[in-house]
Amino acid sequence: MNNVWTISKLTFREAFSRKIFLFFAGISTFLLLVFLAVFLFTDVAALFGSVKINGKELSGSNPAVAAIKLFILNPLYGFGLFLAIFSSASFIPHMLEKGNIDLLLSKPISRRQLILGKFFGGVAVVFVNVFYLVFGLWLMIGYGLGDWSVDFLLASLVITFVFALLYSLMILLGIVSRSSVLAMMISYLVFLILSPVLSSREIISTFLNSEIFSAVMNFFYYVVPQTSDLGSILNSIALGNPIESYSPIIVSLAFIVAAIEFSVFVFSKKDY
Amino acid sequence: MNIVEVENLTKIFSASGKSGAVKALDGVTLSVGEGTIFGLLGPNGAGKTTLVKILLGIVRPTSGNAKLLGEDVSHYKIKSRVGYLPENHKFPNFLTGEGVMKYFGELAGMKKSEIENRIDPLLSLVKMKKWKRTKIKSYSKGMMQRLGIAQALINNPDVIFLDEPTDGVDPIGRKEIRDILLKLKNEGKTIFLNSHLLSEIEMVCNSIAILNKGKLIREGTVEEITTTKEIYDFEIAEGSATDILAKFGTAYSLVAKGNAAFSGKFDDVDRLNSFIDSMRGAGVLIKSVVPKKVSLEDMFISVIEDSEGGKNE
Repeated sequence: MNNVWTISKLTFREAFSRKIFLFFAGISTFLLLVFLAVFLFTDVAALFGSVKINGKELSGSNPAVAAIKLFILNPLYGFGLFLAIFSSASFIPHMLEKGNIDLLLSKPISRRQLILGKFFGGVAVVFVNVFYLVFGLWLMIGYGLGDWSVDFLLASLVITFVFALLYSLMILLGIVSRSSVLAMMISYLVFLILSPVLSSREIISTFLNSEIFSAVMNFFYYVVPQTSDLGSILNSIALGNPIESYSPIIVSLAFIVAAIEFSVFVFSKKDY
Repeated sequence: MNIVEVENLTKIFSASGKSGAVKALDGVTLSVGEGTIFGLLGPNGAGKTTLVKILLGIVRPTSGNAKLLGEDVSHYKIKSRVGYLPENHKFPNFLTGEGVMKYFGELAGMKKSEIENRIDPLLSLVKMKKWKRTKIKSYSKGMMQRLGIAQALINNPDVIFLDEPTDGVDPIGRKEIRDILLKLKNEGKTIFLNSHLLSEIEMVCNSIAILNKGKLIREGTVEEITTTKEIYDFEIAEGSATDILAKFGTAYSLVAKGNAAFSGKFDDVDRLNSFIDSMRGAGVLIKSVVPKKVSLEDMFISVIEDSEGGKNE
Protein backbone atom coordinates (compact mmCIF):
# COMPACT_ATOMS: atom_id res chain seq x y z
CA MET A 1 0.00 0.00 0.00
CA ASN A 2 2.91 2.33 0.82
CA ASN A 3 4.30 1.79 -2.66
CA VAL A 4 0.96 2.66 -4.29
CA TRP A 5 0.88 5.83 -2.19
CA THR A 6 4.46 6.76 -3.19
CA ILE A 7 3.76 6.27 -6.91
CA SER A 8 0.48 8.18 -6.58
CA LYS A 9 2.28 11.08 -4.91
CA LEU A 10 4.88 11.17 -7.65
CA THR A 11 2.20 11.11 -10.35
CA PHE A 12 0.59 14.04 -8.58
CA ARG A 13 3.90 15.89 -8.46
CA GLU A 14 4.56 15.00 -12.10
CA ALA A 15 1.27 16.64 -13.05
CA PHE A 16 2.22 19.64 -10.93
CA SER A 17 5.67 19.95 -12.47
CA ARG A 18 4.40 19.64 -16.00
CA LYS A 19 2.06 22.56 -15.28
CA ILE A 20 -0.93 20.26 -15.88
CA PHE A 21 -2.20 20.90 -12.40
CA LEU A 22 -1.60 24.64 -12.63
CA PHE A 23 -3.25 24.78 -16.05
CA PHE A 24 -6.39 23.11 -14.67
CA ALA A 25 -6.34 25.26 -11.56
CA GLY A 26 -5.92 28.38 -13.73
CA ILE A 27 -8.91 27.50 -15.90
CA SER A 28 -11.00 26.65 -12.83
CA THR A 29 -10.06 29.92 -11.12
CA PHE A 30 -10.86 31.88 -14.28
CA LEU A 31 -14.30 30.22 -14.50
CA LEU A 32 -14.95 30.88 -10.83
CA LEU A 33 -14.08 34.56 -11.30
CA VAL A 34 -16.39 34.79 -14.33
CA PHE A 35 -19.26 33.27 -12.35
CA LEU A 36 -18.48 35.49 -9.38
CA ALA A 37 -18.81 38.52 -11.65
CA VAL A 38 -22.09 37.13 -13.01
CA PHE A 39 -23.40 36.62 -9.49
CA LEU A 40 -22.23 40.05 -8.32
CA PHE A 41 -23.26 42.20 -11.26
CA THR A 42 -26.35 40.51 -12.72
CA ASP A 43 -29.69 39.28 -11.50
CA VAL A 44 -28.84 35.56 -11.77
CA ALA A 45 -32.33 34.38 -10.84
CA ALA A 46 -33.89 36.43 -13.64
CA LEU A 47 -31.11 35.56 -16.11
CA PHE A 48 -31.39 31.81 -15.70
CA GLY A 49 -35.00 31.63 -14.51
CA SER A 50 -36.43 31.77 -17.99
CA VAL A 51 -34.06 29.19 -19.50
CA LYS A 52 -35.80 26.41 -21.44
CA ILE A 53 -34.23 23.16 -22.52
CA ASN A 54 -35.71 21.56 -25.62
CA GLY A 55 -38.54 24.08 -25.36
CA LYS A 56 -39.43 23.00 -21.83
CA GLU A 57 -39.00 24.94 -18.64
CA LEU A 58 -36.86 23.23 -16.02
CA SER A 59 -38.68 21.50 -13.24
CA GLY A 60 -37.98 21.88 -9.51
CA SER A 61 -38.54 24.47 -6.86
CA ASN A 62 -35.99 26.85 -8.33
CA PRO A 63 -35.62 26.64 -12.13
CA ALA A 64 -32.87 29.27 -12.09
CA VAL A 65 -30.71 27.10 -9.85
CA ALA A 66 -31.34 24.07 -12.04
CA ALA A 67 -30.48 26.05 -15.18
CA ILE A 68 -27.26 27.44 -13.78
CA LYS A 69 -26.17 23.99 -12.58
CA LEU A 70 -26.69 22.51 -16.02
CA PHE A 71 -25.09 25.54 -17.63
CA ILE A 72 -21.97 24.89 -15.55
CA LEU A 73 -21.85 21.10 -15.41
CA ASN A 74 -22.34 20.19 -19.06
CA PRO A 75 -19.38 22.21 -20.39
CA LEU A 76 -17.34 21.09 -17.39
CA TYR A 77 -18.13 17.47 -18.20
CA GLY A 78 -17.26 17.79 -21.89
CA PHE A 79 -14.40 20.26 -21.97
CA GLY A 80 -12.98 19.31 -18.57
CA LEU A 81 -12.72 15.65 -19.45
CA PHE A 82 -11.32 16.54 -22.88
CA LEU A 83 -8.48 18.41 -21.17
CA ALA A 84 -8.03 15.71 -18.53
CA ILE A 85 -7.54 13.02 -21.21
CA PHE A 86 -5.10 15.24 -23.06
CA SER A 87 -2.99 15.94 -20.01
CA SER A 88 -2.89 12.44 -18.54
CA ALA A 89 -2.30 10.41 -21.72
CA SER A 90 1.47 10.51 -21.29
CA PHE A 91 1.61 9.28 -17.68
CA ILE A 92 2.02 5.60 -18.59
CA PRO A 93 4.20 5.93 -21.73
CA HIS A 94 6.45 8.27 -19.74
CA MET A 95 6.73 5.71 -16.93
CA LEU A 96 7.69 3.03 -19.47
CA GLU A 97 10.60 5.00 -20.94
CA LYS A 98 13.94 3.21 -20.85
CA GLY A 99 16.02 4.28 -17.89
CA ASN A 100 12.90 5.11 -15.89
CA ILE A 101 11.05 1.80 -15.87
CA ASP A 102 14.30 -0.10 -15.16
CA LEU A 103 14.76 1.87 -11.98
CA LEU A 104 11.17 1.44 -10.86
CA LEU A 105 11.19 -2.31 -11.48
CA SER A 106 14.49 -2.70 -9.63
CA LYS A 107 12.76 -1.58 -6.43
CA PRO A 108 10.75 -3.84 -4.11
CA ILE A 109 7.50 -2.85 -5.77
CA SER A 110 5.19 -5.12 -7.73
CA ARG A 111 4.00 -4.29 -11.20
CA ARG A 112 0.42 -4.23 -9.89
CA GLN A 113 1.40 -1.58 -7.34
CA LEU A 114 3.00 0.51 -10.08
CA ILE A 115 -0.17 0.46 -12.18
CA LEU A 116 -2.42 1.16 -9.20
CA GLY A 117 -0.17 4.02 -8.09
CA LYS A 118 -0.36 5.62 -11.53
CA PHE A 119 -4.13 5.10 -11.62
CA PHE A 120 -4.89 6.63 -8.23
CA GLY A 121 -2.38 9.44 -8.76
CA GLY A 122 -3.97 10.46 -12.07
CA VAL A 123 -7.48 10.23 -10.65
CA ALA A 124 -6.45 12.33 -7.64
CA VAL A 125 -5.10 15.08 -9.90
CA VAL A 126 -8.43 15.34 -11.71
CA PHE A 127 -10.54 15.04 -8.55
CA VAL A 128 -8.74 17.87 -6.76
CA ASN A 129 -9.21 20.20 -9.71
CA VAL A 130 -12.83 19.26 -10.39
CA PHE A 131 -13.72 19.51 -6.70
CA TYR A 132 -12.08 22.95 -6.46
CA LEU A 133 -14.29 24.24 -9.29
CA VAL A 134 -17.48 22.48 -8.20
CA PHE A 135 -17.03 23.50 -4.56
CA GLY A 136 -16.43 27.14 -5.56
CA LEU A 137 -19.56 27.15 -7.70
CA TRP A 138 -21.55 25.45 -4.95
CA LEU A 139 -20.58 28.25 -2.55
CA MET A 140 -21.67 30.88 -5.09
CA ILE A 141 -24.99 29.15 -5.76
CA GLY A 142 -25.53 28.81 -2.03
CA TYR A 143 -24.76 32.42 -1.20
CA GLY A 144 -26.33 33.85 -4.36
CA LEU A 145 -29.45 31.76 -4.70
CA GLY A 146 -29.81 30.12 -1.29
CA ASP A 147 -29.55 26.58 -2.66
CA TRP A 148 -27.23 24.56 -0.43
CA SER A 149 -28.10 21.16 -1.87
CA VAL A 150 -25.07 18.88 -1.43
CA ASP A 151 -26.16 16.87 -4.48
CA PHE A 152 -24.30 19.38 -6.60
CA LEU A 153 -21.05 18.49 -4.85
CA LEU A 154 -21.55 14.85 -5.88
CA ALA A 155 -21.06 16.04 -9.45
CA SER A 156 -17.32 16.22 -8.76
CA LEU A 157 -17.37 12.52 -7.88
CA VAL A 158 -19.29 11.60 -11.03
CA ILE A 159 -16.94 13.58 -13.29
CA THR A 160 -13.93 12.02 -11.56
CA PHE A 161 -15.51 8.59 -11.96
CA VAL A 162 -15.92 9.15 -15.71
CA PHE A 163 -12.32 10.26 -15.89
CA ALA A 164 -11.26 7.12 -13.97
CA LEU A 165 -13.17 5.07 -16.54
CA LEU A 166 -11.39 6.69 -19.49
CA TYR A 167 -8.07 6.74 -17.67
CA SER A 168 -8.23 2.97 -17.06
CA LEU A 169 -8.63 2.59 -20.83
CA MET A 170 -5.68 4.93 -21.40
CA ILE A 171 -3.53 2.93 -18.97
CA LEU A 172 -4.32 -0.27 -20.84
CA LEU A 173 -3.57 1.33 -24.21
CA GLY A 174 -0.42 2.93 -22.82
CA ILE A 175 0.87 -0.40 -21.49
CA VAL A 176 0.10 -2.23 -24.73
CA SER A 177 1.30 0.41 -27.21
CA ARG A 178 3.58 2.73 -25.15
CA SER A 179 2.03 5.51 -27.24
CA SER A 180 0.40 8.49 -25.59
CA VAL A 181 -1.02 9.62 -28.93
CA LEU A 182 -2.84 6.32 -29.51
CA ALA A 183 -4.14 6.24 -25.94
CA MET A 184 -5.45 9.78 -26.33
CA MET A 185 -7.03 9.23 -29.77
CA ILE A 186 -8.90 6.09 -28.74
CA SER A 187 -10.12 7.72 -25.54
CA TYR A 188 -11.45 10.67 -27.51
CA LEU A 189 -13.05 8.29 -29.98
CA VAL A 190 -14.86 6.51 -27.14
CA PHE A 191 -15.80 9.66 -25.25
CA LEU A 192 -16.87 11.85 -28.15
CA ILE A 193 -18.19 9.40 -30.76
CA LEU A 194 -18.69 5.76 -29.74
CA SER A 195 -20.41 6.28 -26.42
CA PRO A 196 -22.92 8.91 -27.65
CA VAL A 197 -23.70 6.74 -30.71
CA LEU A 198 -24.13 3.56 -28.66
CA SER A 199 -26.21 5.41 -26.11
CA SER A 200 -28.62 6.25 -28.93
CA ARG A 201 -28.63 2.66 -30.24
CA GLU A 202 -32.37 2.20 -29.77
CA ILE A 203 -33.19 5.22 -31.93
CA ILE A 204 -30.65 4.11 -34.56
CA SER A 205 -32.04 0.56 -34.56
CA THR A 206 -35.58 1.76 -35.31
CA PHE A 207 -34.28 3.34 -38.52
CA LEU A 208 -32.20 0.33 -39.61
CA ASN A 209 -34.68 -2.35 -38.54
CA SER A 210 -32.07 -5.13 -38.26
CA GLU A 211 -31.92 -7.58 -35.38
CA ILE A 212 -28.27 -8.43 -36.01
CA PHE A 213 -27.33 -4.77 -36.04
CA SER A 214 -29.28 -4.24 -32.79
CA ALA A 215 -27.50 -7.19 -31.17
CA VAL A 216 -24.09 -5.89 -32.27
CA MET A 217 -24.92 -2.39 -31.01
CA ASN A 218 -26.11 -3.85 -27.69
CA PHE A 219 -22.91 -5.88 -27.33
CA PHE A 220 -20.71 -2.86 -27.89
CA TYR A 221 -22.87 -0.74 -25.63
CA TYR A 222 -21.97 -3.00 -22.72
CA VAL A 223 -18.25 -3.33 -23.48
CA VAL A 224 -17.45 0.28 -24.43
CA PRO A 225 -17.27 2.80 -21.55
CA GLN A 226 -20.72 4.35 -21.15
CA THR A 227 -19.59 7.94 -20.72
CA SER A 228 -22.67 9.37 -22.40
CA ASP A 229 -25.08 7.68 -20.01
CA LEU A 230 -22.92 8.72 -17.07
CA GLY A 231 -23.32 12.30 -18.33
CA SER A 232 -27.10 11.91 -17.97
CA ILE A 233 -26.63 10.53 -14.46
CA LEU A 234 -24.46 13.57 -13.67
CA ASN A 235 -27.32 15.91 -14.60
CA SER A 236 -29.79 13.90 -12.53
CA ILE A 237 -27.55 13.94 -9.46
CA ALA A 238 -26.77 17.64 -9.73
CA LEU A 239 -30.44 18.52 -10.01
CA GLY A 240 -31.40 16.22 -7.17
CA ASN A 241 -33.48 14.01 -9.47
CA PRO A 242 -33.59 10.23 -8.98
CA ILE A 243 -31.21 8.12 -11.07
CA GLU A 244 -33.22 6.13 -13.60
CA SER A 245 -30.73 3.29 -14.00
CA TYR A 246 -27.58 2.33 -12.11
CA SER A 247 -26.52 0.04 -14.94
CA PRO A 248 -24.01 2.52 -16.47
CA ILE A 249 -22.32 2.91 -13.08
CA ILE A 250 -22.07 -0.84 -12.51
CA VAL A 251 -20.90 -1.56 -16.08
CA SER A 252 -18.33 1.26 -15.85
CA LEU A 253 -17.04 0.01 -12.54
CA ALA A 254 -16.65 -3.45 -14.04
CA PHE A 255 -14.85 -1.90 -17.02
CA ILE A 256 -12.39 -0.07 -14.74
CA VAL A 257 -11.59 -3.25 -12.80
CA ALA A 258 -11.25 -5.31 -16.01
CA ALA A 259 -9.06 -2.69 -17.74
CA ILE A 260 -6.75 -2.34 -14.73
CA GLU A 261 -6.50 -6.11 -14.24
CA PHE A 262 -5.75 -6.66 -17.93
CA SER A 263 -3.16 -3.86 -17.81
CA VAL A 264 -1.49 -5.57 -14.84
CA PHE A 265 -1.55 -8.90 -16.70
CA VAL A 266 0.02 -7.45 -19.87
CA PHE A 267 2.51 -5.38 -17.85
CA SER A 268 3.64 -8.42 -15.86
CA LYS A 269 4.37 -10.34 -19.07
CA LYS A 270 6.50 -7.63 -20.66
CA ASP A 271 10.26 -7.23 -20.63
CA TYR A 272 11.80 -3.78 -20.30
CA MET B 1 27.35 -17.71 0.43
CA ASN B 2 26.72 -16.93 -3.21
CA ILE B 3 24.91 -13.66 -3.66
CA VAL B 4 24.14 -14.31 -7.32
CA GLU B 5 23.50 -17.78 -8.71
CA VAL B 6 22.59 -18.29 -12.31
CA GLU B 7 22.08 -21.72 -13.80
CA ASN B 8 21.65 -22.51 -17.47
CA LEU B 9 19.98 -19.17 -18.05
CA THR B 10 18.58 -18.53 -21.52
CA LYS B 11 16.71 -15.53 -22.82
CA ILE B 12 15.22 -15.38 -26.27
CA PHE B 13 13.59 -12.11 -27.30
CA SER B 14 10.76 -12.90 -29.63
CA ALA B 15 10.71 -11.53 -33.14
CA SER B 16 9.43 -8.02 -33.68
CA GLY B 17 9.07 -6.41 -37.09
CA LYS B 18 11.48 -7.68 -39.70
CA SER B 19 14.07 -8.99 -37.26
CA GLY B 20 13.95 -12.61 -36.12
CA ALA B 21 14.11 -13.95 -32.58
CA VAL B 22 17.27 -12.94 -30.71
CA LYS B 23 19.02 -15.24 -28.27
CA ALA B 24 20.38 -12.73 -25.79
CA LEU B 25 21.58 -15.34 -23.28
CA ASP B 26 22.46 -18.92 -24.10
CA GLY B 27 22.71 -21.32 -21.16
CA VAL B 28 24.71 -19.03 -18.88
CA THR B 29 25.82 -20.48 -15.54
CA LEU B 30 27.76 -18.39 -13.04
CA SER B 31 27.90 -17.40 -9.41
CA VAL B 32 29.10 -14.36 -7.49
CA GLY B 33 30.36 -14.72 -3.93
CA GLU B 34 29.61 -12.40 -1.04
CA GLY B 35 31.78 -9.34 -0.59
CA THR B 36 33.33 -9.38 -4.04
CA ILE B 37 33.44 -6.91 -6.87
CA PHE B 38 32.38 -8.88 -9.89
CA GLY B 39 32.97 -7.48 -13.38
CA LEU B 40 30.87 -8.58 -16.29
CA LEU B 41 32.59 -7.93 -19.60
CA GLY B 42 31.58 -8.36 -23.17
CA PRO B 43 31.21 -6.48 -26.44
CA ASN B 44 28.00 -4.59 -27.24
CA GLY B 45 25.05 -6.96 -27.54
CA ALA B 46 26.82 -9.70 -25.57
CA GLY B 47 23.89 -10.01 -23.14
CA LYS B 48 25.39 -8.22 -20.10
CA THR B 49 22.48 -5.87 -19.48
CA THR B 50 19.97 -8.65 -20.15
CA LEU B 51 21.63 -10.77 -17.46
CA VAL B 52 21.47 -7.92 -14.94
CA LYS B 53 17.86 -7.16 -15.86
CA ILE B 54 16.88 -10.80 -15.34
CA LEU B 55 18.51 -10.73 -11.91
CA LEU B 56 16.45 -7.65 -11.08
CA GLY B 57 13.16 -8.99 -12.45
CA ILE B 58 13.00 -6.39 -15.23
CA VAL B 59 13.31 -9.07 -17.92
CA ARG B 60 11.85 -12.59 -17.60
CA PRO B 61 14.12 -15.52 -18.46
CA THR B 62 13.02 -17.94 -21.19
CA SER B 63 14.51 -20.87 -19.27
CA GLY B 64 16.94 -21.60 -16.47
CA ASN B 65 17.20 -20.43 -12.89
CA ALA B 66 18.40 -17.19 -11.39
CA LYS B 67 18.75 -16.54 -7.67
CA LEU B 68 19.61 -13.34 -5.88
CA LEU B 69 20.54 -13.41 -2.19
CA GLY B 70 19.35 -17.01 -2.10
CA GLU B 71 15.86 -16.21 -3.38
CA ASP B 72 14.34 -16.72 -6.79
CA VAL B 73 14.48 -13.42 -8.71
CA SER B 74 10.71 -13.46 -9.21
CA HIS B 75 10.30 -12.55 -5.50
CA TYR B 76 10.21 -8.79 -5.84
CA LYS B 77 10.53 -8.10 -2.10
CA ILE B 78 14.13 -9.31 -2.13
CA LYS B 79 14.94 -6.11 -4.01
CA SER B 80 14.75 -4.15 -0.76
CA ARG B 81 18.33 -5.44 -0.28
CA VAL B 82 19.45 -4.49 -3.78
CA GLY B 83 20.76 -1.26 -5.30
CA TYR B 84 20.80 -0.58 -9.03
CA LEU B 85 22.22 2.05 -11.31
CA PRO B 86 21.07 1.40 -14.89
CA GLU B 87 22.88 2.73 -17.91
CA ASN B 88 21.33 6.01 -19.14
CA HIS B 89 19.03 6.22 -16.16
CA LYS B 90 16.25 8.81 -16.05
CA PHE B 91 15.14 10.34 -12.79
CA PRO B 92 12.01 12.52 -12.63
CA ASN B 93 13.58 15.81 -13.71
CA PHE B 94 11.28 17.95 -11.57
CA LEU B 95 12.90 16.57 -8.42
CA THR B 96 15.96 17.89 -6.63
CA GLY B 97 18.88 15.62 -5.77
CA GLU B 98 17.43 15.27 -2.30
CA GLY B 99 13.99 14.57 -3.77
CA VAL B 100 15.40 11.73 -5.88
CA MET B 101 16.97 10.18 -2.81
CA LYS B 102 13.72 10.46 -0.84
CA TYR B 103 11.62 9.05 -3.66
CA PHE B 104 13.78 5.99 -4.24
CA GLY B 105 14.21 5.51 -0.50
CA GLU B 106 10.43 5.38 -0.12
CA LEU B 107 10.15 2.95 -3.04
CA ALA B 108 12.78 0.78 -1.38
CA GLY B 109 10.43 0.53 1.62
CA MET B 110 12.51 2.66 4.00
CA LYS B 111 11.17 4.71 6.88
CA LYS B 112 11.26 8.50 6.54
CA SER B 113 13.74 8.90 9.41
CA GLU B 114 16.08 6.28 7.89
CA ILE B 115 15.99 8.08 4.56
CA GLU B 116 16.69 11.45 6.17
CA ASN B 117 19.67 9.99 8.02
CA ARG B 118 21.23 8.54 4.89
CA ILE B 119 20.78 11.37 2.40
CA ASP B 120 23.55 13.72 3.56
CA PRO B 121 26.24 11.05 4.14
CA LEU B 122 25.55 9.49 0.76
CA LEU B 123 25.48 12.78 -1.12
CA SER B 124 28.73 13.70 0.64
CA LEU B 125 30.22 10.35 -0.40
CA VAL B 126 29.56 11.12 -4.07
CA LYS B 127 30.44 14.81 -3.59
CA MET B 128 26.95 16.06 -4.40
CA LYS B 129 25.83 17.47 -1.06
CA LYS B 130 26.01 21.10 -2.08
CA TRP B 131 23.71 20.38 -5.05
CA LYS B 132 21.08 18.54 -3.07
CA ARG B 133 18.48 21.31 -3.30
CA THR B 134 19.09 21.94 -7.00
CA LYS B 135 16.65 20.52 -9.53
CA ILE B 136 18.33 17.67 -11.36
CA LYS B 137 17.36 19.00 -14.79
CA SER B 138 20.33 21.36 -14.43
CA TYR B 139 22.76 18.53 -13.51
CA SER B 140 25.57 17.48 -15.86
CA LYS B 141 25.99 13.85 -16.98
CA GLY B 142 28.72 13.30 -14.42
CA MET B 143 26.56 14.74 -11.63
CA MET B 144 23.69 12.47 -12.66
CA GLN B 145 26.01 9.46 -12.46
CA ARG B 146 27.14 10.46 -8.97
CA LEU B 147 23.55 10.95 -7.87
CA GLY B 148 22.69 7.61 -9.49
CA ILE B 149 25.31 5.86 -7.38
CA ALA B 150 24.03 7.57 -4.22
CA GLN B 151 20.48 6.52 -5.16
CA ALA B 152 21.63 2.92 -5.59
CA LEU B 153 23.01 3.01 -2.04
CA ILE B 154 20.07 4.71 -0.30
CA ASN B 155 18.66 1.47 1.14
CA ASN B 156 22.06 0.27 2.37
CA PRO B 157 21.88 -2.69 -0.03
CA ASP B 158 23.77 -5.97 0.32
CA VAL B 159 24.32 -6.20 -3.42
CA ILE B 160 24.73 -3.33 -5.87
CA PHE B 161 24.39 -3.57 -9.64
CA LEU B 162 26.16 -0.81 -11.51
CA ASP B 163 25.84 -0.52 -15.27
CA GLU B 164 28.58 1.71 -16.68
CA PRO B 165 28.89 3.75 -13.46
CA THR B 166 31.73 5.94 -14.74
CA ASP B 167 30.00 6.84 -18.00
CA GLY B 168 30.36 10.60 -18.52
CA VAL B 169 32.51 11.04 -15.43
CA ASP B 170 35.88 12.83 -15.67
CA PRO B 171 39.12 11.00 -14.73
CA ILE B 172 39.19 12.42 -11.20
CA GLY B 173 35.55 11.44 -10.72
CA ARG B 174 36.31 7.94 -12.03
CA LYS B 175 39.04 7.55 -9.46
CA GLU B 176 36.63 8.71 -6.75
CA ILE B 177 34.02 6.19 -7.91
CA ARG B 178 36.64 3.42 -7.84
CA ASP B 179 37.50 4.41 -4.28
CA ILE B 180 33.80 4.28 -3.35
CA LEU B 181 33.53 0.78 -4.82
CA LEU B 182 36.53 -0.41 -2.84
CA LYS B 183 35.14 1.16 0.33
CA LEU B 184 31.83 -0.63 -0.22
CA LYS B 185 33.65 -3.89 -0.79
CA ASN B 186 35.49 -3.41 2.50
CA GLU B 187 32.10 -2.95 4.16
CA GLY B 188 31.15 -6.41 2.90
CA LYS B 189 28.93 -5.32 0.02
CA THR B 190 28.81 -7.32 -3.17
CA ILE B 191 29.14 -5.27 -6.33
CA PHE B 192 28.15 -6.44 -9.78
CA LEU B 193 29.81 -4.17 -12.31
CA ASN B 194 29.09 -3.83 -16.02
CA SER B 195 31.67 -1.69 -17.74
CA HIS B 196 33.40 -1.22 -21.04
CA LEU B 197 36.38 0.34 -19.29
CA LEU B 198 38.56 -2.74 -18.91
CA SER B 199 41.33 -0.90 -17.10
CA GLU B 200 38.85 0.07 -14.39
CA ILE B 201 37.53 -3.46 -14.10
CA GLU B 202 41.11 -4.67 -13.76
CA MET B 203 41.76 -2.17 -10.98
CA VAL B 204 38.75 -2.91 -8.80
CA CYS B 205 37.30 -6.34 -9.58
CA ASN B 206 38.16 -9.57 -7.76
CA SER B 207 36.55 -11.79 -10.32
CA ILE B 208 35.25 -11.35 -13.80
CA ALA B 209 33.23 -13.13 -16.46
CA ILE B 210 33.22 -12.56 -20.17
CA LEU B 211 30.09 -12.89 -22.23
CA ASN B 212 29.97 -12.98 -26.00
CA LYS B 213 26.85 -13.48 -28.08
CA GLY B 214 24.96 -14.59 -25.01
CA LYS B 215 27.47 -17.26 -23.98
CA LEU B 216 29.79 -17.26 -21.01
CA ILE B 217 33.22 -17.77 -22.50
CA ARG B 218 35.55 -17.15 -19.54
CA GLU B 219 35.17 -16.79 -15.80
CA GLY B 220 37.67 -16.45 -12.98
CA THR B 221 39.68 -14.05 -10.86
CA VAL B 222 41.47 -11.19 -12.59
CA GLU B 223 44.77 -12.87 -11.64
CA GLU B 224 43.76 -16.17 -13.22
CA ILE B 225 42.45 -14.62 -16.36
CA THR B 226 45.33 -12.25 -17.02
CA THR B 227 48.00 -14.85 -16.32
CA THR B 228 48.99 -17.01 -19.26
CA LYS B 229 49.71 -20.65 -18.52
CA GLU B 230 52.12 -21.17 -21.38
CA ILE B 231 54.52 -18.22 -21.44
CA TYR B 232 57.11 -17.52 -18.73
CA ASP B 233 59.55 -14.66 -18.32
CA PHE B 234 63.06 -15.62 -17.23
CA GLU B 235 65.79 -13.52 -15.73
CA ILE B 236 69.27 -14.89 -15.30
CA ALA B 237 71.88 -13.73 -12.80
CA GLU B 238 74.93 -14.29 -14.99
CA GLY B 239 75.58 -14.61 -18.71
CA SER B 240 73.47 -13.27 -21.57
CA ALA B 241 70.12 -14.16 -23.02
CA THR B 242 71.77 -14.51 -26.44
CA ASP B 243 73.91 -17.38 -25.14
CA ILE B 244 70.87 -19.15 -23.72
CA LEU B 245 69.01 -18.78 -26.99
CA ALA B 246 72.01 -20.14 -28.89
CA LYS B 247 72.26 -23.13 -26.59
CA PHE B 248 68.56 -24.03 -26.11
CA GLY B 249 66.77 -22.10 -28.84
CA THR B 250 66.50 -25.09 -31.13
CA ALA B 251 64.91 -27.38 -28.51
CA TYR B 252 62.63 -24.74 -26.92
CA SER B 253 60.65 -21.76 -28.18
CA LEU B 254 62.55 -18.80 -26.66
CA VAL B 255 62.57 -15.06 -27.36
CA ALA B 256 65.17 -12.61 -26.04
CA LYS B 257 63.76 -9.69 -24.06
CA GLY B 258 66.90 -7.95 -22.96
CA ASN B 259 70.49 -8.59 -21.98
CA ALA B 260 69.68 -11.03 -19.19
CA ALA B 261 66.01 -11.64 -19.85
CA PHE B 262 64.07 -13.83 -22.22
CA SER B 263 60.71 -15.53 -22.43
CA GLY B 264 59.78 -19.07 -23.31
CA LYS B 265 56.62 -20.83 -24.40
CA PHE B 266 55.96 -24.28 -22.93
CA ASP B 267 53.11 -26.66 -23.65
CA ASP B 268 53.03 -27.98 -20.10
CA VAL B 269 54.73 -27.78 -16.70
CA ASP B 270 56.86 -30.89 -17.37
CA ARG B 271 58.46 -29.26 -20.37
CA LEU B 272 59.03 -26.06 -18.38
CA ASN B 273 60.78 -28.05 -15.64
CA SER B 274 62.82 -29.98 -18.16
CA PHE B 275 64.05 -26.64 -19.60
CA ILE B 276 64.92 -25.36 -16.13
CA ASP B 277 66.81 -28.61 -15.41
CA SER B 278 68.72 -28.24 -18.66
CA MET B 279 69.71 -24.67 -17.82
CA ARG B 280 70.70 -25.60 -14.29
CA GLY B 281 72.67 -28.53 -15.68
CA ALA B 282 74.53 -26.10 -17.93
CA GLY B 283 75.38 -24.00 -14.86
CA VAL B 284 73.03 -21.12 -15.60
CA LEU B 285 72.07 -19.17 -12.47
CA ILE B 286 68.38 -18.40 -12.71
CA LYS B 287 67.22 -15.22 -10.95
CA SER B 288 63.48 -15.46 -11.57
CA VAL B 289 60.82 -17.38 -13.47
CA VAL B 290 57.48 -15.55 -13.67
CA PRO B 291 54.35 -16.54 -15.55
CA LYS B 292 53.72 -13.87 -18.14
CA LYS B 293 50.80 -11.54 -17.44
CA VAL B 294 48.78 -9.81 -20.12
CA SER B 295 46.58 -6.77 -19.68
CA LEU B 296 42.88 -7.43 -19.28
CA GLU B 297 42.31 -5.56 -22.52
CA ASP B 298 44.71 -7.81 -24.50
CA MET B 299 43.22 -10.89 -22.91
CA PHE B 300 39.67 -9.67 -23.59
CA ILE B 301 40.38 -9.05 -27.27
CA SER B 302 42.11 -12.40 -27.59
CA VAL B 303 39.28 -14.29 -25.88
CA ILE B 304 36.60 -12.60 -27.98
CA GLU B 305 38.55 -13.33 -31.19
CA ASP B 306 39.05 -16.95 -30.16
CA SER B 307 35.33 -17.36 -29.44
CA GLU B 308 34.53 -16.01 -32.88
CA GLY B 309 36.95 -18.37 -34.59
CA GLY B 310 39.95 -16.03 -34.79
CA LYS B 311 40.49 -12.68 -36.47
CA ASN B 312 39.90 -12.51 -40.24
CA GLU B 313 39.08 -16.16 -40.48
